[in-house]
Amino acid sequence: MTTPIAPVAEPTTTPLIPPSQHRWAEVIHRLEAGGSMLPDTPENLMQIIGIYKAYAVPMDFYWRDLLYIAEQVFLDPLPAFKYFPSQEYLDLPNSYAGDQSQLRIWRGGEKAHPELLEFMAKGETTQMPKLLHHLWHDRINMEFAEACMQAMLWHQNMGGRFNDYLASDAYRNNADRAIKAYFKRNPVMLGLYKLFPEMFLEKVKQLSYTANLGLFWEVMAPVFFEMSDIYDEGGFKGVPDAMDFLVNGIFAVAGRPIYHHAFIDGECFEIIPKSEGFTWLYEAALPYVEAVFYRTSPFRGTKSYNAQAGQVPADQADFHYGILYADVFPVGSAGIPPTLLMQDMLHFLPSYLKELYRKHERGEEDQLIQLGVTFQRSMYNVTSAVIQALRAALLYPLDDTDPEHLLANRRFFEAQMDRFLRPEARLGAIQSQDYR
Amino acid sequence: MATILETAQAAGCFSTLLTAVEVAGLRSALEGPGPFTVFAPVDDAFAALPPGTVQTLVDNPPQLARILKYHVLSGACLRADLTTQPEWTSLEGAPVAIRRSEPFEVKNSTVVQADIVCDNGIVHVINRVILPG
Repeated sequence: MTTPIAPVAEPTTTPLIPPSQHRWAEVIHRLEAGGSMLPDTPENLMQIIGIYKAYAVPMDFYWRDLLYIAEQVFLDPLPAFKYFPSQEYLDLPNSYAGDQSQLRIWRGGEKAHPELLEFMAKGETTQMPKLLHHLWHDRINMEFAEACMQAMLWHQNMGGRFNDYLASDAYRNNADRAIKAYFKRNPVMLGLYKLFPEMFLEKVKQLSYTANLGLFWEVMAPVFFEMSDIYDEGGFKGVPDAMDFLVNGIFAVAGRPIYHHAFIDGECFEIIPKSEGFTWLYEAALPYVEAVFYRTSPFRGTKSYNAQAGQVPADQADFHYGILYADVFPVGSAGIPPTLLMQDMLHFLPSYLKELYRKHERGEEDQLIQLGVTFQRSMYNVTSAVIQALRAALLYPLDDTDPEHLLANRRFFEAQMDRFLRPEARLGAIQSQDYR
Repeated sequence: MATILETAQAAGCFSTLLTAVEVAGLRSALEGPGPFTVFAPVDDAFAALPPGTVQTLVDNPPQLARILKYHVLSGACLRADLTTQPEWTSLEGAPVAIRRSEPFEVKNSTVVQADIVCDNGIVHVINRVILPG
């Protein structure tokens, strides 16, 4: 006798909350399903991973040199050699990558990446002393890294407590000790410090943001290298996998200390001590995304803005000159599109991306623009990871069954998408593969 | 009656929290007279965080202390007190939102057991680690 099989209940497909009516409802529903703002296609995956690799190599230089400037060059009045990090900083082991690290989360990271060292030696031209490479501008464009730091310094007040601390008496005292120690054999500079103390303090604040950005990118470089390795090994089934890797990375190092130490005559001056409790997530990553991906500032270049005609927002929070809004076409301008970074990435493109660019548009002739669009796609994916990480940290799981919770998630996603309602946003463009 | 930490010790489901309090150097503060209101995440709440999250914090006590202080209010507040206003300032400095009174929700966590009265304050057991922001 056979046991009668109970009828299987049809799985309910009724959503717990009604569909979004937002202009970017399709993207919001994708985020609610665990996806990214960037559509999940094999080509998008290939593009973003390829550009992460090309970004990671110069970034490995940026973070080392930023820390070198903040910690060693410090207040050098004529910092002609600030883009020449010492061997010690090129050999600096990564704090979170490689077996030598204090907490191994990612691979590699024992010292500067071999592709970076090779480029530093040869550049686009040939092997020659690094001073000649520098003067010929055949080198990594550190000016891009400094522009990002300046965006963070200028916008300030983007969450976290970093900026509040820079305005505190404790910071002023720490900076004062370091300034006096640095110029102890230079009476002229000490005299100037007496006359213009705020100017010196402002310069130290800039160096504190330089350290902040260096510590931020120290983490991002091995993340991007490892994503490239995983892709080359056949990992990552799609764009959401790549985004989830970033989300997990954000959580893993969220508590990394953000600090500013300056080394003067071998003595460590703790201008921002680790004991202040500043973290990678709150004091570096979130302000970075806000200042660099969204805001930055209008730039001098092929396109000009007229502030009197209202072409520049009165409120800094409304600035929208970051990569998420950039018109990538006018290559050569000084700010966004980040031409200097695009040129840096051009040197380290994986072969599959070079192949892709050859097949489209004008082939090699406009690959700087094509890789700029790829970079834009990849940064929409990084921003998606930040949005999903914030949702996970502050709100509810995507598979939550409480409609109130799902509505809270919905309101959060819609508020994030409101920032892409302005016409300059490229969110619509990246939905299509034809945007190149 | 027992102190907040003794109560947590006896419950047996707060071993991660207790270790974190020790590492962050907050033990003596939480053994003081207070009173405090502590939102205590259970071990499963810490385990649900992505790999590495807790370890990075444990390696950096000042940063860990900051996150833990977000789980503590000054003063002894029962559930009935907490639900009288939408948010409370934590010892970390950032506000902790009381999102719902039924079920009782603090920030994005649900209170699985409220109003555990101790010598030096009140403990509310929560199912998720809460983060400022």
